[in-house]
Amino acid sequence: MILFDRVTKVYPNGSTALSGMNLHIEPKEFVTIVGSSGAGKSTVIKLMTREEVHTSGKIIIGGLDYDTIRPKDVPLVRRRIGVVFQDFKLLPNRRVGENVAFALEVAGARNREIKRAVPKMLQLVGLASKENAFPNELSGGERQRVAIARALIRQPKILIADEPTGNLDPKNAWEIIELLLKINRFGTTVLLTTHNKEIVNALKRRVITINRGRIIRDDEQGRYTLETPSNLKGVK
Amino acid sequence: MKTGGRNFLRNLWLSTAATTVMTVTLTIVVLSFISNLTLTSTIKSVTDKIDVSVYLKADITDQEVTDFQYAIKAGGNVAGITYLSKEDALAQFKQKNKNNQATLDALNIAGADTIPASLQIRAIDPKKLDVIAATIALPDNQKYQDPNAPPSYSGGRKSAIDRIVGFSNFFRSAGLIMSFIFVVISILIIFNTIRMAIFTRRDEIEIMKLIGATKWFIRGPFIFEAALYGIIASFIAVGLAYLLLLGGGPKLSSYVDVQSAINLFQSYPLLVIGIELIIGIMIGIFSSLLAMSRYLKL
Repeated sequence: MILFDRVTKVYPNGSTALSGMNLHIEPKEFVTIVGSSGAGKSTVIKLMTREEVHTSGKIIIGGLDYDTIRPKDVPLVRRRIGVVFQDFKLLPNRRVGENVAFALEVAGARNREIKRAVPKMLQLVGLASKENAFPNELSGGERQRVAIARALIRQPKILIADEPTGNLDPKNAWEIIELLLKINRFGTTVLLTTHNKEIVNALKRRVITINRGRIIRDDEQGRYTLETPSNLKGVK
Repeated sequence: MKTGGRNFLRNLWLSTAATTVMTVTLTIVVLSFISNLTLTSTIKSVTDKIDVSVYLKADITDQEVTDFQYAIKAGGNVAGITYLSKEDALAQFKQKNKNNQATLDALNIAGADTIPASLQIRAIDPKKLDVIAATIALPDNQKYQDPNAPPSYSGGRKSAIDRIVGFSNFFRSAGLIMSFIFVVISILIIFNTIRMAIFTRRDEIEIMKLIGATKWFIRGPFIFEAALYGIIASFIAVGLAYLLLLGGGPKLSSYVDVQSAINLFQSYPLLVIGIELIIGIMIGIFSSLLAMSRYLKL
């Protein structure tokens, strides 16, 4: 479960990214967060991965109260959540298999465990034959699959996909979304941020719309719209 | 470890530069240590031989010899006294000059009596021969001595020893200063190499952080990389120093005692390498920690 209770984030330069945000996501949900640039989507994700620390309010993820996290616990927090980025963030000088294995290496997994888990995960994302390729030999869609495999190999309960289709053509983008849906069916909570209207509309899943650090819409089977619902217009 | 080794190869030029500087530093450190050892052992072997020779009058009695020995010992700074009779002195002189026929002929003409009996005095502290000289010069002690042969205070040898002591002190300080300067240079170069490595790997570091690597997991490869410079450099430095000793040894052996240094290498190779390894690894780790504290924000 992901819980944001009146969470506010003010950056050192004084800009308020989130103001009193309430967010509640149940396990195994597939939630899309939309919003224009600067609305606060990235801040939500950075607070979840503890790249940023909230200014006030309460964040509880998977039973962990983020107010109790000590600096040395941050790596452990990040290992509980899988994250996929728009720019893939793969290590260019490591092979596909090594990139995926890397997530287990940093967690101190044994070699035997790594050798067993990596091919399985590559098979899940449809890259079994590319284990020895380098990232620059892959297409954008394939690279994103590697990133997803890396995010999932530690079997996190939550997968955050931050604009995963931003750099992909429509065909590859859809393949990635289908992969995310498949992962969700296996029981992982998926949190997707995207600007892709067609994808959001076709998904017919819960959509949360953020504007100026607040949630302005939260629809169970939402569509892509950046507009405030009529009953909330004028409310700041 | 794998990552550290990979970085070493990836920045081959920088790694080579860092290893070379480290090698020079460690060679200087080991050579300075060796020259220290060599000079100390040379000084010891020279000073062990030092003595003051006091020539005795021709008609001295055994009792007088004994009395004189007591008087000299009472004066202080005396490690031991050996009595060299006329006959022994003559034999020694002949032995020393066996290849010098002219001298031997001159001795035959002058007569065997020319060489007086003597007391050979070894000092406790060779730098304070004045104390012994003062004792010998006392009027009471003059009566035992040969008026025609003034005591020999190991004359030329003393000034040679003084020179060696001065020379070795200079070398000791120079070695220390050179070692210090090169250690500082090594630290700066490795600091810079690690700084560059941090800079070129900043994307990788960011990814490591994002997927939950601990601080020491991220720092580890940099520390290992820097330590690796030290490890490789120590082996090269020890090899280089040994070759220099073997090559330069014969040329230097007539001046200084190189053999003891070579012995050290041959008897305790692990000790020498071990010390070098410790110094090299310490320099590497220290510089990398310094660079990380400034440039690796985790």
